[in-house]
Amino acid sequence: MPRIRPPKTDSADPVQRSALAHQPALLAAFTRLYGTLWSHGVLDLATKEMARLRNARVTDCRFCRSVRFAGARDEGLSEALVEEIRDGYEEGPLTDRQKVVLRYTDAFLKTPGDADPALREAMLAHFSSEEIVELTAAIALFMGFSKIAVSLGQVPESMPVTVMPTPDR
Amino acid sequence: MTWLPDSAPGAEPLDRVFGLRPNLYEDFQRWSALFWEEGVLDPRILELCRLRVAQLHGCESELRIRHRPAIEAGLSEAKIAALQRASSDPAFSEVERACLAFSELFVADPNAITDEDARRVTEPLGPEGTVALVQALALFDGFARFRLMLDVEAPAEERVVVSAPGSAETALD
Repeated sequence: MPRIRPPKTDSADPVQRSALAHQPALLAAFTRLYGTLWSHGVLDLATKEMARLRNARVTDCRFCRSVRFAGARDEGLSEALVEEIRDGYEEGPLTDRQKVVLRYTDAFLKTPGDADPALREAMLAHFSSEEIVELTAAIALFMGFSKIAVSLGQVPESMPVTVMPTPDR
Repeated sequence: MTWLPDSAPGAEPLDRVFGLRPNLYEDFQRWSALFWEEGVLDPRILELCRLRVAQLHGCESELRIRHRPAIEAGLSEAKIAALQRASSDPAFSEVERACLAFSELFVADPNAITDEDARRVTEPLGPEGTVALVQALALFDGFARFRLMLDVEAPAEERVVVSAPGSAETALD
């Protein structure tokens, strides 16, 4: 049950139709930041989408879990691969690079203050410094958005998977 | 000190890490500065919540920062020092306590926020203030974790007053 009623709007965009529209300047700045992250970055979209969906699962945001961004699908992130972003992914068929992304996302969400030398080494083996900064900022924004959605009142229990355009500014 | 092998130019530790992605950092700074503009939310509440989130994470680099609008609005170091006992300290107002309790749940488990927890925030702040608060908490929580994950150093001075992340102005006594 939503805890804040969204303002009236003609927009079809689910975020623009949400309670976040009560602060239009903040929403516009966030939308620009999110668009830069997704469409003007150095890291591939499928990697960011894997981190976003892992966060959605761990943070338990039903809205975030139901959304797929088109650009990541175009890069090959199929529903079969999305299924592998489950607990126990270490035993599944994902590549080492994909597993490192999920491990890094889990560390961000669960133990951000615990330095893990092996994880850092694995990250540096697969990603540049620029890519690591972008991925870390991405997880911060994914987690933040999920927590906003949860704290303002969850969406219904079942939502169909919805493919949305990749955010751009 | 960060474990990344590269760094960007910049005066502040956050500049040298986040600045590796300059267009993203620029948009981040623009977004995060907006919360401190007049009329968005009481800057004393914002600062108390930011510091409480940093305490929960043990994020020293966030704990050393102060935002000028909060200080100019009257937030004292004595009150900041009492943050951990805010629920019983009469120096804290009802709305401050409600926002701090909400912040703690937001960090630990937002699914644990009850309708009553939310009502204690939404009634005094209204929709605009509540939306500003939850977005600010997303920023504080997310980027305290960012600093920890990347080992962003704490600023050299004990306390740095800034108007926006990455823009140090003055060291306090």
